[in-house]
Amino acid sequence: MSRTRQLVDALRAQLGARAPMPPPEPPPRIPDPPVRVFPKRHEGTPYAREAAKHTTALLGIGHVGTRYATEVVLQFQAELAVAHGAVAAELPEGFARDNGLLSLKSRVTHHREFLLRPDLGRRLDTESLERLKHEAKRGVDVQPILADGLSATACMQSGVALLNAFKAACERRGLTVGTPVCARYARVWLEDEIGEAVQAKVSAILLGERPGLGTGDGLSAYLVYAPSIGKTDGDRNMMSNIHARGTPPEVAGDRLAVLSKAMIDQRTSGVSLNLAHLVAELGEAAARHHRAPQARVRLVEVDR
Amino acid sequence: MRLASTIRSVRYTFADVREVMAKANAPKSGDVLAGIAARDAVERVAARAVLAHLTLAEIRNNPAVPYELDELTRMFEHDLSDAAYQAVKHLTVGQFREWLLEETTDWAKIRSISPGLTPEMAAAVCKLMSNMDLMTVAAKCRVVVRANNTLGLPGRLSSRVQPNHPTDDVHAILYSMREGLSYGCGDAVIGVNPATDTAESTAEILTAIDAVLKKNQIPTQHCVLSHVTVQMRALELGCPMDLMFQSLSGSEGGNRAFGISVALMDEAYDQMKRMGTAAGPNFMYFETGQGSALSSAAHHGADQLTLEARCYGFARRYDPFLVNTVVGFIGPEYLEDGPQITRAGLEDHFMGKLLGLPMGCDACFTYHASMSQDELECLKVLLGAAGCSYLMSLPVGDDIMLNYQSTSYHDIPSVRRLLGKRATPEFDAWLAERGILDGAVPGPRFGDPSVVVPA
Repeated sequence: MSRTRQLVDALRAQLGARAPMPPPEPPPRIPDPPVRVFPKRHEGTPYAREAAKHTTALLGIGHVGTRYATEVVLQFQAELAVAHGAVAAELPEGFARDNGLLSLKSRVTHHREFLLRPDLGRRLDTESLERLKHEAKRGVDVQPILADGLSATACMQSGVALLNAFKAACERRGLTVGTPVCARYARVWLEDEIGEAVQAKVSAILLGERPGLGTGDGLSAYLVYAPSIGKTDGDRNMMSNIHARGTPPEVAGDRLAVLSKAMIDQRTSGVSLNLAHLVAELGEAAARHHRAPQARVRLVEVDR
Repeated sequence: MRLASTIRSVRYTFADVREVMAKANAPKSGDVLAGIAARDAVERVAARAVLAHLTLAEIRNNPAVPYELDELTRMFEHDLSDAAYQAVKHLTVGQFREWLLEETTDWAKIRSISPGLTPEMAAAVCKLMSNMDLMTVAAKCRVVVRANNTLGLPGRLSSRVQPNHPTDDVHAILYSMREGLSYGCGDAVIGVNPATDTAESTAEILTAIDAVLKKNQIPTQHCVLSHVTVQMRALELGCPMDLMFQSLSGSEGGNRAFGISVALMDEAYDQMKRMGTAAGPNFMYFETGQGSALSSAAHHGADQLTLEARCYGFARRYDPFLVNTVVGFIGPEYLEDGPQITRAGLEDHFMGKLLGLPMGCDACFTYHASMSQDELECLKVLLGAAGCSYLMSLPVGDDIMLNYQSTSYHDIPSVRRLLGKRATPEFDAWLAERGILDGAVPGPRFGDPSVVVPA
């Protein structure tokens, strides 16, 4: 018998292969039903209530083993579905006209192309460029641009409010404001071509940002001095999270006007823009005073 | 140099090494966007066949961005260890792949030749590897670094607590941080991405976090991920700062778009060495991600994987404590879906480790990419199995400021339990002392954020 065979046989003997199979173990006793199926609802813990005064982050939610309670899983899945819905949304035909804005479009032709081809979203199509050159005011201080970006939902909800707040705040500071435009399938850098075409000192694009969980109503603003094709992100100043739970549009509009003024005064933007002396003013514009608790919207309710 | 191969009697020829590198790359929407991807799967294999027969010397002599045009290429050349390079220069990329996979090739051997590798060599061999190849080699790499605790030891998986808030509400940041700590997260860093990029705000957040860490005697590091110039000003204000952060890109032009250069990072490093508050010797923190160079039109026709490797070449100049790829953050125009994001996460982790970095990964997706939550959870386990140094952690994985889905406070203990991993030794001892863990399993205070008291 080979050495290997001997070893295998010895191992089987050790495992009891030669003995009859032991009788099956009796079934384990069925435990009492659990007292609680789910842990407490996350709104219930004192920590969750305290945290909710400051943040919409899902805190104090407890755990089952190392994982989530079923209720948390369902809430999460519902919020994920809402975010995906916001990405899929598109600006309705006539949105610009209905809001009194000059209608522009990038070189993108359909929604999937918009997601995969940012290069096309950074340039105007020929027709839009012509319309802009013929119909928009030139040589202004600030060119405001409203755009869909990655959430047409946000653009539709609070875009016009932000645009109006921004325009008014610029005018209060004595800045001239260009013809407000609205761009479809737009990426941030589209502001370069638009601002260049109308010879604006500052180009400011206000657009829907990547949706968050359960949201899709956030706007971002990107400002650039002396806009021209070829500007980079380092040339821009930006502000994000413009929505009711972050910075409200009225406050954001004011702060963006402060930024615009600083760019024109210093003749630059981006990393070389010095905001040190404006901390007080920007701090006021970006007011961080206490906001009312913003409970996360409860998305899943089950009839029982 | 012949750059041609034949598959089923069809001959494929390539103009230069850059074209071979691009077409050998696994499918990525970003390479399609750049117009440099292989036409189809057969051309991709033809390019890989050519690549497998190039020597590492030939890869070195054909950098992704020319020496004359790019300060990173020049820096890689100047910083390269010639002794280490001499040991591997004759290997073809295919042979190098096999050498890495050999059972006898351990971390000591890999570490000895690593300083002789240019980033392009790491990218080249990466293109010839499957996902499991990437994991197998990466799992051998044990990059150990130290700040206030010791990261990267065998059997360890660390995490960053990322308590971001849309208006930098310090109370909100601290509530989230305390919850994360109670799940055993945060041994890599407590790292906040600020919404407001000012020195005052950076200093305010760091000071508040520092007070809680000190009060509770938590052995970890803090960081606010504002622009490096903002952090330099914050240091001058006199605030505590354990780690200094910056996003990196893989070309001089890409870094210009980020507002940085090698000279600026050298200056930042020197200032941090003098004024940083961590015990050290490692104190820099970098983030990267495939596609950043193309997004600022600074890719020079090179593929995004190769440019990503060059970020790691830049990072290693500063012996960082943390480096992570934010793999799914940039969006579907660069990494379209679950398979592409999964692959890229494993590639980046592999290349970073091969180049000697304490590599972590922000396994994540944005809500406009085609990746499911289930696919994302799988990636976290794959990274853990590959020996990834750290993952991120947030409440339910939801970043309410940056709007994307990452790793959750619950995922970290789950992956650790699945793979038999623990936090860094210093932090693990703190978890045991506070009753958050009982040995390897959750203890009586697990998930109870009141275990961490306010300052």
